[in-house]
Amino acid sequence: MSTIRGKTAIVGVGQTPYYKRGTSPDPELKLCVRAIVDACEEAGIQPSEVDGFISYASERSDAQKLMPALGTREVRFAALSWIHGGGIPGALSIAASAIVAGQASVVAVYRSMAESAGQRLRINVAQNDTAAQYLVNGLESPVQILALRAQRLIEADGVPAETLRAMAQACYYHARNNPRAYGRNTVLDDQTYANARMISEPYRLFDCSRENDGACAVIVVSAERAKHLKQKPAYILSAPMGGLEGSGAREENIHPYSTAGQAGVARRMWAESGYAPKDVDVLQVYQNMTGMGVGALIDHGFCTFENAGEVIRFENLIAPNGALPCNTSGGDLAEGFIHGMGLMAEAVRQLRGTSTNQVPDAKLSLMTGGPGDTLTSTALFGTEETL
Amino acid sequence: MQFSYEQHRIIGGIGADDEYWRALEQGEFKLPRCSGCGQWTWPAHYRCGVCGSWEFVWTPLEPVGTVYAWTRTCYAFERVKERAADVPYVTVLAEIPAAGNARVMGILQGSEENLRIGAAVRGLILPPSEKSKHYPSIQWTLEAHR
Repeated sequence: MSTIRGKTAIVGVGQTPYYKRGTSPDPELKLCVRAIVDACEEAGIQPSEVDGFISYASERSDAQKLMPALGTREVRFAALSWIHGGGIPGALSIAASAIVAGQASVVAVYRSMAESAGQRLRINVAQNDTAAQYLVNGLESPVQILALRAQRLIEADGVPAETLRAMAQACYYHARNNPRAYGRNTVLDDQTYANARMISEPYRLFDCSRENDGACAVIVVSAERAKHLKQKPAYILSAPMGGLEGSGAREENIHPYSTAGQAGVARRMWAESGYAPKDVDVLQVYQNMTGMGVGALIDHGFCTFENAGEVIRFENLIAPNGALPCNTSGGDLAEGFIHGMGLMAEAVRQLRGTSTNQVPDAKLSLMTGGPGDTLTSTALFGTEETL
Repeated sequence: MQFSYEQHRIIGGIGADDEYWRALEQGEFKLPRCSGCGQWTWPAHYRCGVCGSWEFVWTPLEPVGTVYAWTRTCYAFERVKERAADVPYVTVLAEIPAAGNARVMGILQGSEENLRIGAAVRGLILPPSEKSKHYPSIQWTLEAHR
């Protein structure tokens, strides 16, 4: 059994508004300071007490830039979780490991993004690390690359295309109740979905995640300390990162191909936590694209290629009564996208009972990391009674 | 020989595939095979993960395979803006049975009728051009339309 299971908890969440990309009134470092300070205040911890700093992907607001503004007394631990959105729950695993190993006591896990002059966020996010094979052949964006995999999911693996639509519609349905959600005014009926412009077949506009300016931070402390703070703790039961043989940087030569690359981390997560798909109350599923959300559900064992069409239906995916309430804040598609960090905030709110689309009495809350990434991760959070 | 791709080198990914581009620029389709255990290693890498050998034989192949996946790009993306005038265009990921089912990307040329996963394709090697960022490239054509 894992030695980090239930030993740490998220005790504070801080989030700036989601701004349209390129329109944040503040640069990303200021957004980042704001999110960390808000998360500390919500928890009842002085920002100067934060001694661990962990982010993922191409984050540039690093500990050395944050500490003067936070009044940091001592940085004891700082790390970056590889590689893109795949690293988010992995960042939590690093935080939990550092705390359990006595290397840090108050850890901020965060991401801040604001589009700088003329450079699309997705280009920053790609970190100038796209292999020539793609660029020479007209492929540069995640939507195109993941479209190849979605085409395979639908055409070769037989998963109905309607599952992609259901994933998108659940996001936009939940966003309508969420005042923070950037897509809250969009009614995504079948017609609107079908009429949206094609981006990279089979993906249309509403299959794609947003790109927003903003920052989001959570504060992680030991389970012992969590009991004495202001918020109901969201215990980290498991947050494995990695990839099985056949995954990694393989320029579309990965095996298996069409799902999210999360079968390995999901298996470890179930084993470490002691829970199974049937036990989960609510899910925040990272969706760069809807087909990858479908792939994540398959990799985590919520359904198979064969029964995906029966399980991934709109009615089933919505709170409060669906069997598999998914992306209850609107998620990456309809709430907003700070490289997926908004999902972590929502996973925590569900355990506190404060979501705008609350699943009654949620005790086990799942958050999946960037699917289809060259390495990826997943996390299961629980209330005290799940420990 | 001065290679065009070397003058316009793209940094990213594993980066062990120089021999692929050199061969392609000379009109040959080659993929690397481990000289120790025979494993096809694509994309190219520095060491065979199966047997531990550091030696690879770049093996000439006939550019024939089947469609493993495809997408039709309908938007002019910034980093491939050289192809903006061609939008919409189809990129095919072709599986090469003679190379351990290695998958190789290429633009689909010619008719798209009956484009489907599993369809047979044949590659045509194109010299470096602006569209392919001054790299040589493979264009796939559906065998049914040759």
